[in-house]
Amino acid sequence: MAESSKINSSKPSSALLSAETMAKLERMELVSRKIFRGRMKGERRSKRKGQSVEFADFKNYVNGDDLRFIDWNLFARMDRLYLKIFLEEEDLHFYTLIDDSMSMDFGEPSKFFVAKQIAASLAYIGLCRGDRVSVSSFETSSNPNVIRGKASTHRLLGHLDALHCVTSETTMAESIKRFCVKNTGKGIVVVISDLMSKTGYESALRMLVAREMDIFLIHLLSPEELSPGAQGDLKLVDCEDGDQREVSISAGLLNRYQQTLAAFIEQAKSYCNKRSISYVPARSDQAADVLVNEYLRSKGLVR
Amino acid sequence: MNWISALGPLQWMLLLVVPPAVLSLYFLKLKRRELAVPSTLLWRKTLEDVHVNSIWQRLRKNLLLYLQLLFLALLILACLRPGWSGQNRIGERRIYIIDNSASMQATDVSPSRLEVAKKKVRELLAETSSDDVGMVIAFSDRADVRQGFTKDRNRLFKAVESILPTSRGTDVSEALRAAAGLANPGRSSFDNLSDIMVADAIPATVYLLSDGAFGDLGDLDLGKLKIEYIPIGEEKTNNLGILSFAVQRNEDKTAKLEAFARITNRGDQKVDFTASLEFDGKLLDASAGTVEPGQETGILFELTDAQEGQLKLVLDYEDALQVDNVAYAAVRPNKQMSVLLVTPGNNALETALQTTRVQQLASVQIESPAFLSDPKYQGSSLDSSYDLIIFDQCAPVQMPNSNTLFIGSQPPQSAEPTNSASVDNWKFGQLQGPAIILDVNRTNSISQYLEMGAVYIAEARTIQPGESGTVLMTSDIGPVFAVAPRGAFQDAVLGFSIVQATSDGVGVNTNWGNRRSFPVFVYSAIEYLGGGITESSSPSVQPGWPIGLLLSNRFKEFRVVAPDGQATELTRGDESRYTYTKTDALGIYQVFANGADGVESPVELFCVNLFSSRESDLNVAQTIKMGYEKVAASRASVVARKETWRWLLLLGLALLVVEWVVFNRRVFI
Repeated sequence: MAESSKINSSKPSSALLSAETMAKLERMELVSRKIFRGRMKGERRSKRKGQSVEFADFKNYVNGDDLRFIDWNLFARMDRLYLKIFLEEEDLHFYTLIDDSMSMDFGEPSKFFVAKQIAASLAYIGLCRGDRVSVSSFETSSNPNVIRGKASTHRLLGHLDALHCVTSETTMAESIKRFCVKNTGKGIVVVISDLMSKTGYESALRMLVAREMDIFLIHLLSPEELSPGAQGDLKLVDCEDGDQREVSISAGLLNRYQQTLAAFIEQAKSYCNKRSISYVPARSDQAADVLVNEYLRSKGLVR
Repeated sequence: MNWISALGPLQWMLLLVVPPAVLSLYFLKLKRRELAVPSTLLWRKTLEDVHVNSIWQRLRKNLLLYLQLLFLALLILACLRPGWSGQNRIGERRIYIIDNSASMQATDVSPSRLEVAKKKVRELLAETSSDDVGMVIAFSDRADVRQGFTKDRNRLFKAVESILPTSRGTDVSEALRAAAGLANPGRSSFDNLSDIMVADAIPATVYLLSDGAFGDLGDLDLGKLKIEYIPIGEEKTNNLGILSFAVQRNEDKTAKLEAFARITNRGDQKVDFTASLEFDGKLLDASAGTVEPGQETGILFELTDAQEGQLKLVLDYEDALQVDNVAYAAVRPNKQMSVLLVTPGNNALETALQTTRVQQLASVQIESPAFLSDPKYQGSSLDSSYDLIIFDQCAPVQMPNSNTLFIGSQPPQSAEPTNSASVDNWKFGQLQGPAIILDVNRTNSISQYLEMGAVYIAEARTIQPGESGTVLMTSDIGPVFAVAPRGAFQDAVLGFSIVQATSDGVGVNTNWGNRRSFPVFVYSAIEYLGGGITESSSPSVQPGWPIGLLLSNRFKEFRVVAPDGQATELTRGDESRYTYTKTDALGIYQVFANGADGVESPVELFCVNLFSSRESDLNVAQTIKMGYEKVAASRASVVARKETWRWLLLLGLALLVVEWVVFNRRVFI
């Protein structure tokens, strides 16, 4: 575990985001299908009315209203006092949750590394647009590091570097529950996971749905999982809980595995669709920027 | 608890290899390569179809091994066929009766009829179930139970193998009776009851393997015995055989001998043959002949200078049975017995001893009663140098060690009888007269030809021999002639003299001396009491039959040498007639006597010849008649249960192994 974290941390932060990628990402922005209330003045239109250049409505003046917003032209014509209401523009809350279970540490590059790349890409987009960005793993979900502004890119990358896979007793559901408790704000949440949780992922996602967040699930699977190349009589050892399975690989068994895998993916997909969760399948041997540029764009997370 | 192995050695080897193989497969299974995977979640779901029950899955690793080993242990135990001896139900009873008579040596079926019969029995044995009990009887002219009822097939096989061809005749009835005795209830009679059954009937099947050369069996009650007759051999088989071969003295020219043979053709074709006669191993003569089918022909050889020797007649003709193409005869050794006559003078007796036939038979020495006190006589009578001593009107002081005939005198008796078989037990009456012979004992060879109708006796005394004696003549005053054994010797006493020496010369006591029957009596007495051999041709018997040998009382010990060189020592007992039974081999048997000086001298020859028209007839009977019943040949193989459970068991074992391999390999098709 320590070794894997070392491997991951040894990768330079530049490996997460190359300059070229950053240049591409700067032109993008995160899109939310929902309009949320922000916490601070930002670039996003908010549900709240406030000060911006975009006109929203008129309202009758009542005592105590800010005189600055009275439409004097209208008063001149109608001889009545009306207040001009503008749309408020606020920042967007953008959360990224990375599955840090040991199963993510597999593949070359590892799924965890790819997940961090994706998270870095998305977070960088958010930073560039002045969004409120938080990147955390399941382990650190209760202590999100909220960062803002393009200047914080270095902090973002440093923070991502510090993440590594852990053998944790806490399940995916517990981590997300903690996350929900700590982050009351609404916004976009991107969960990057392989969903290989023996206790199931459904309850975890359900909690996010309950928070009325705009949820994206990036289902990241390694090529080893998608098409196992192992052969012969094997004893398969689960790296998370040490569970052992004795198998003798045969064509029939591989067929059956593919069927199981397809059913697994289909099940996750259908679960997400039913709950308005955007399900994005991803492979760990695929470049992260391709994923962000093409898949997520087609899914409407970025534009 | 007893154990009967159900498997052969090879099958056992195969079975015993299996448990180590199962164990080694388990060891192989432990050597799986470990591979770390992100999660076994998907694999678990994939394998869930195989392991439906998770409890069993957890236990599988050990439980399967133990179950398999348990299964194998039970299987091996089952193959050991454990059982308890008790009131066990016995399977079918089968009795295999195999003919090993001379005709079974025929080679019309290869290699021989007997071998074919043995092979068939082996096949039958192989087909029987392990519960069946079998019994093997070999028969020729007598039955020989080679193996009593047993379930042990190995012993039955061994018993069948032990059956060897014989040259004997055929009589199946004894074998069938032996079989029937075992299959049918025994009966026992009591005084006040009608007969009762003492045992339960046990049905049995008799497989009779024979060429059927035994004719009608008559009314043989076989009860619950079921007969399956399996004929052995070709139905029509040609054969040429010698039915008789004998040597006789030519009636006219006594110096010459004639050898006569009768030859039969039991085939359906006319046969030309050559018969060659060998004398002491050298070809003496040959003769060609022709026999029509089903007919007989005779051939005659004249032997001019034949003295003592062995004759062998060989038919130079190739047929299925060679045993009956050879016959043996022997010209007896020229042997004379020595007879001592002690008489004060008896013309009739001396004349009777001068006949040609007596001269051929014996050399007679005549002495006066004074000779009895001669020390020479004392010695010679003790060492039995005489075969017979005739005491006429005189008696010795002590009984000699030889056969005796007393005429008109009494043998010496000691006051106290010491032995039941001695002259001491004889009882003699007083002289009375006249007497007429009323009855003559025709069963005894001394008196069988005597005609005493017109014989008058002036004076005679009654004679009562001891317990083992035989009265040969009875007159109106009582028994007057008797014979009785005395140890190894015979004593005959005639109660009247032929002539009687009186003070005024010799008086005639009876007119028997003038009668024709008197020389016959003397000859018979010498022949019987002297152990004489009268014919130049030696006796011949069929193989296996006993032969009575008349052995001279001069010798104590004899040796019989069979044609195959085997010698049998004989010691002469009480009687001069000895019955010799080891006559299984065909050929000439020689009898030698051990003289007192240790020199062996040939005393007798006899032959064993097949001489059986039934054995020479090789045509195989297709039915056997038993009274009114007929048993047809059952050529078809006998329906018997064939055991397959062993193979099914092995198949099950193989299936188990395959199942195990498939299970471990997870080969899904």
